[in-house]
Amino acid sequence: MRMRVVLAAGLLVLAAGCGSESPAAAPGEPVKIKFQSLAWQKESIAANKQLVEEWNKANPKIQVEYIQGSWDNVNDQLVTSFEAGDPPDVIHDDSPALSGFANRGYLLDLTDKVPAELKSDIPQAAWDTVTFGDGKGGQGVYGVPFLQESQVIIGNKKLLDKAGVRIPTPDNPWTWDEFAEISKKLTKGDAYGVAWPMKSPVNKVLNLGLNFGGTFFQTDAAGKTTVKVGAEEREVLQRIHDQLHKDKSADPSALGMGSADPLPGFYAGKYAMLPVGVYLRQQVVEQAPDGFEWITLPPLKGATAEQGAVSQTLSVATDSKYPEQSLKFISFFLNGPNQVKLAKGDWLLPTSVKAAGDPAMTTEENGWNVATASVKNLVVAPFLKVNGFDEWKSKVATPALQQYFANKITLDETAKKLVDEGNKVLERYNK
Amino acid sequence: MTLTADRPVRTAPPKKPRKGGRQGREALLLMLPALVPVLVFSVGPLLYGIFLAFTDARSGRNAVTSFVGLSNFGDLLSDGDFWASFRIGMIWAVSVTVLQFLASLGLALLLNQEMRFRGFARVLAMVPWAMPPVVIGLMWRLVYHPDAGILNSMLGTEVDWLNDFSIALPAVIVVGIWTGMPQTTVVLLAGLQGVPKELYEAVEVDGAGVWRRFWNITLPQLRPVIVAITSLDFVWNINQFGLVYVLTQGGPGGQTRLPMLFAYEEAFRYGFFGYAATLGVAIVIVVLAVLGVYLWRQMREAS
Repeated sequence: MRMRVVLAAGLLVLAAGCGSESPAAAPGEPVKIKFQSLAWQKESIAANKQLVEEWNKANPKIQVEYIQGSWDNVNDQLVTSFEAGDPPDVIHDDSPALSGFANRGYLLDLTDKVPAELKSDIPQAAWDTVTFGDGKGGQGVYGVPFLQESQVIIGNKKLLDKAGVRIPTPDNPWTWDEFAEISKKLTKGDAYGVAWPMKSPVNKVLNLGLNFGGTFFQTDAAGKTTVKVGAEEREVLQRIHDQLHKDKSADPSALGMGSADPLPGFYAGKYAMLPVGVYLRQQVVEQAPDGFEWITLPPLKGATAEQGAVSQTLSVATDSKYPEQSLKFISFFLNGPNQVKLAKGDWLLPTSVKAAGDPAMTTEENGWNVATASVKNLVVAPFLKVNGFDEWKSKVATPALQQYFANKITLDETAKKLVDEGNKVLERYNK
Repeated sequence: MTLTADRPVRTAPPKKPRKGGRQGREALLLMLPALVPVLVFSVGPLLYGIFLAFTDARSGRNAVTSFVGLSNFGDLLSDGDFWASFRIGMIWAVSVTVLQFLASLGLALLLNQEMRFRGFARVLAMVPWAMPPVVIGLMWRLVYHPDAGILNSMLGTEVDWLNDFSIALPAVIVVGIWTGMPQTTVVLLAGLQGVPKELYEAVEVDGAGVWRRFWNITLPQLRPVIVAITSLDFVWNINQFGLVYVLTQGGPGGQTRLPMLFAYEEAFRYGFFGYAATLGVAIVIVVLAVLGVYLWRQMREAS
């Protein structure tokens, strides 16, 4: 009996200790909001910190604390801090991650809260990438999209010129057929036409899949989502597989590599072309040996040149005590001129229309003009809205695609895995 | 007559327990300061975890938790991914424990010899013990790095050790063995020093060689120590998390996804707290069962 009393008292003390929240700022005192950024490139971190400093100087009443996060573990870190009720106020993440968070009610619906100026500066297509179900049957906008990534091709200019191939332009891009032919032409001796780094193949394949209308997911009238791998979805899979194992114009040993890993081989002329995200241009600029000439080629065209868009986003936590102040900060942070700075820092594409028109974004230097032009091909990828996509991706799709590209299983087997095992995973989320 | 018959019955039995009860209460009072943290920080969470295993708790502000009985355990039985992960966990725990034991026994025998710099060598053998698992993981990731790693440059190979489907698990097992060797070596070394010298002298008179001495004296004398340390190692290894999380995060394609990593992902990546708790309970049951069988067999053979 006595023990129970002591125990209860102990628990009470503990509970009180956990439950006590820091009191809201008294009037007149500055409000403090926490901003967790995932910037990782040196220039980008510098741009982020500089903007925060600028804001803090101009707004003594709303002080922003910069917190450095990391893409590697952001999901686990945010889930634990959401559950503990103490998340950062302003959260940097990307659109695929928001769907799950929005569904679980962690993020604030910004639908009517975004200032008109910011809202009109960002096109509807970009807003679509952050519009999700709220888990209670409604829809909401759960972040402000600001940087977008498109898939382009980086080419070794000397090798392309020597082979005498047509250099494509954003208005007249290569088709996948042309790309296959040219890759074959560029494959000579030890050198391959192309390297497909496929350590994380899922987002890449799904985004490119839209070239042929491959959506990979379908939602029926009752709102139940299932995986779909039909003729459209198989196009890109088959074409990449052909390059690897039929044409032999793609290096199979690059398959296990992450996006940046084939760069040394690219500089050495081992690969003539790399299909990569636009941000990789930064590493080429920094690391390429003197005299190395490279060129950014526009995205390939299948039935269309459409690609799935992934945006980086800023969101506000539901648990934030200062949602209004947080939004004010976001509006400042993501205005046109500031987006130019952020885009330059990360070598990604700004969503802001004003920013996209900035001379820094349209210069021919380092392929900015080609990169910025690719924004018009970006559409919302259906997988963004799929609840349970993350689990499907890591448990089913990643191993299946890796095995398929390594030629260990056939396309039919791959499709069967993606659909059968995938639907089983999605089933848990449809409950 | 009645008096003589009644007396012992009435007085003797209640007296003892009462005295014991008072003593027990005093002992309990003295233990309280130590007991409270154990109850609050170990037993409490454990019970809460077991409770969660019978609910459908999920992450999310609008998630409603309800009691679902044994349905999580039913899902668990038909969860092929978990059993694949469990198989990997068993391969990992058994091979690390066995190989670690063999390597440590060799090292302990060596360090038990009269040799130069013995003290220094003993200190060196302890070094991995001083490192936290995360640091060990980061260090070995550099060793295994495909381009800049010391292993590839020494062997002149171009293997991506931690990303190859068939090599990743063995590569991680090697790190596991390395990490756990100090504890095992120290315990075995202590055991070796406890073996009475007279026994060796006695068999030497009989003309026994090195091998016979080891087989007939050292091993039987070490037996209780070996049983204790291998069972402890097994529990530590099957519950290993930090090391593998840093090394591979369970990749490539789940080839090194130990059961603990699997449970962690269920909870903190996908947000199924209830199901993850079920996995934890299942792992506890299996560990207890394996240990029970192992200890029971060892005790039976010993007696």
